[in-house]
Amino acid sequence: MPDNWSFVLAAYGLAAVVLLGYWRMLVRHENDLEAQSAPPSAHLTPGSQTTSAQTGERSHAAPFSGHPRPKPDSRTSLQ
Amino acid sequence: MIRGLGAVTVLALAAGLVAGLGLAPREATQGNVQRIMYLHVPSVWVAYLAFAVVFVASIAYLAKRADAADRLAHASAEVGVVFTGITIATGSIWGKPTWGTWWTWDARLTSVSILFVMYLGYLLLRGMIDDRERGARYAAVLGIVAAFNIPLVHFSVIWWRTLHQPPSLMKPGPGMPLVIVTVLLVNFVAFSLLYAYFVVKRVHLLRREAEAAS
Repeated sequence: MPDNWSFVLAAYGLAAVVLLGYWRMLVRHENDLEAQSAPPSAHLTPGSQTTSAQTGERSHAAPFSGHPRPKPDSRTSLQ
Repeated sequence: MIRGLGAVTVLALAAGLVAGLGLAPREATQGNVQRIMYLHVPSVWVAYLAFAVVFVASIAYLAKRADAADRLAHASAEVGVVFTGITIATGSIWGKPTWGTWWTWDARLTSVSILFVMYLGYLLLRGMIDDRERGARYAAVLGIVAAFNIPLVHFSVIWWRTLHQPPSLMKPGPGMPLVIVTVLLVNFVAFSLLYAYFVVKRVHLLRREAEAAS
């Protein structure tokens, strides 16, 4: 009987790809849900606030009051 | 809790991998290709377990209309479909060097394919119906009906003459060597932990989805 290690590795490799793919899908879905439920102020970084305050310039970026526009790839069908 | 379960699962899977590819001896008649059994048999065990959970949770949902039971059924069906797919694929890879063919329409292979398609249909049904409560109700009915295919899959090798061998673990007479049984048990535990990890994580996500939608 030949060793057939290639078949063994193919089976284990395929199972690993499927299981890792499913796990990765769950993690990405979890990250998407966290991003959607995060408050708008969470998008502000301390560095960006300091820079505008130090320079005293008027920011051209959209204010964070109201509803921030989500990135196109993160929109659900309702958005 | 989920992270802790995930860490234990990774350790168990690593132990199962080392045992299956390293510690287990080369089987006398099949050669190394028999090592696929340490993946194939625990996969189908988890698939049976997953669909049995769908069956029980679906009955609980129809009896009490508890959303938690519906989420458990949904998560378990999804994970069960993943493991059934792995069972079919690894069985096919094992079949080529052993039987000389990737696929044959014998009773076991056909019945497990029907099981796979039925639960794929279950997931599609859930996705197709916009009314969440109605979708959950229809899915629960299908989850109960589809579970009757599980004994058909398991006993198909006894009831019909098939190319697939009969159950090896529970057959009467001299059993398998202890080392092979031990490696199989390690992988049973590892895959059961992986099933629990996936289901807990998926149920958590389904709950968060429901909270976000309401």
